[in-house]
Parts: sequence; structure tokens; C-alpha cells
Amino acid sequence: MLRHERLIRLCQARDALRDVQRTQATVADIAASVAMSQFHFIRQFRALFGETPQQYRTRARLERAKHLLVNGDATITEVCMAVGFTSLGSFSALFARRFGEAPSAYRRRLAGDRQALTPDCVGLMTAAWRGEAQFSRSRDPDE
Amino acid sequence: MRIRLNAVMVDDQQKALDFYTNVLGFKKKQDIPMGEFRWLSVESPEGGDAELSLEPNANPAAKTFQEAMFEQGIPLTAFEVDDMDAEFKKLSEHGVTFTTNPTNAGPVIMAVFADTCGNLIQIYQKTE
Repeated sequence: MLRHERLIRLCQARDALRDVQRTQATVADIAASVAMSQFHFIRQFRALFGETPQQYRTRARLERAKHLLVNGDATITEVCMAVGFTSLGSFSALFARRFGEAPSAYRRRLAGDRQALTPDCVGLMTAAWRGEAQFSRSRDPDE
Repeated sequence: MRIRLNAVMVDDQQKALDFYTNVLGFKKKQDIPMGEFRWLSVESPEGGDAELSLEPNANPAAKTFQEAMFEQGIPLTAFEVDDMDAEFKKLSEHGVTFTTNPTNAGPVIMAVFADTCGNLIQIYQKTE
């Protein structure tokens, strides 16, 4: 059983993994910062959150990149750096592999459609009923 | 008026579908792609007509709420089971993390586990 005190430390580590001020910290550094051995940290993190610390960190960075691409006007390189990647090539390749299109194409498709990234349960259900291909809360229901 | 739909927010819908079907044993009910998200729900093979939506927690407000509840140790919802011992054994064998082991709490035995998608879930067995 995971004691509450340990749960809190794992949550603190999760926050640290996505902290854009701590992109240089390794998984070992973050384990140490919550007073856990790296082995136990990775094992318990994965059991609690369903992915390894590194997988979590990558996913968090890509999700943040999506929001910056859609809602801001930073260049692709600036977005890449802002979320903690150091190589534009590896960022773009990873983004394309994960989401099926390059960051630039993603931005062109969704630019300014803030709601496309913040779906909700009932909105998704309603959009599914209408046979829409893409969730959008701003859509006119009479269209 | 009937209660047919409940939802849990999840940090990744595919990860959630894997956990809620392969580990918890629910069945996929609806799975309709909506751009990068899905209208995705599961139901219990043991009956009842409720449907549980696995809702993306992409909204920052939802994420803040979900993480605060998790850190405070508060379950987001609860599922009823017939045999707590068997469920606890099965979930433990799948590597599920419990934050409360099966505990006698008056008319129920209850336990709390992490669903690997950002939530704590309570299960309970009625004993009366």
C-alpha cells in the first residue's frame, strides 16, 4: 500500500518533471529531490501514473507545445525550446510521430481554436451524435 | 429522468481504455474519434445501465481540480464489487497501487486505488 506521504512526494516529482524551469534535471536528480532511490522512484511512479517518469515528461512537453502552437505566436523553434527540447529536429520528429503531423501543420490546422484542445465529456458526446469529425464547442449547432 | 452517464477525467484516453478494460474488466461501449480526442466510454459486463465516459482532462481547470483531489487522497468516484478479497487480489496482481487497503467501514468494506490516469477510485462491497 502506498502511504499518503509517499503519494505526495510522487506528485511533487510529477510537478518537477513538467517544470519548464527544471528541464536540465535528470530523472535521477528528481528522484533524489523527493528522497527516493531512482529504482523505487521509477517503479512506483509507473504504478501510480501508468507511465515512466521519462514518458510522462515527454508527454507533458508535447501537450504544452500543442497549447503554445495553437494559442500563441511563438515560432516553432521558440516553442521547442520553451517546453524543454534542445533539438528542433528531434522535437518535430517526435511531434509528427505522436500526432501524425508536423508542428507547423498542426498550428495551421488549429490556429486560434483554443477550444479544440479543451474538450469536455458532454461536448464530445454531443459532437459524436452530430457526426462531427473534430470537436469544437464554438460550432453553430444549426450549421 | 435517469442517471446513465458518469465521467472520469483521464490524462490519456488510450492509457485509460487499457486500464479500465484490461485491468478493471469493463467493456468498451463507445469509441468515436473526434480529431485528436475520442468520445470514449466503458460499461460493466456485470450489468447496470450506466456508462462511464473516459474524458480527456485537457482543460487546465479540470487538470488543476483532478490533481488537487488526487494529492489530497480523495477518490473521484466509486464502484461496487461483490467480492472485495477477489478484486483486491486481482488488481494487486496487475500491479495496481492501493492507497487504502480493504478496510471494514461499518456496512461496507472499502478500498482505494490509483487508476494510472490521475484519479483515485474507491471500490466497496456491501456487507449488510
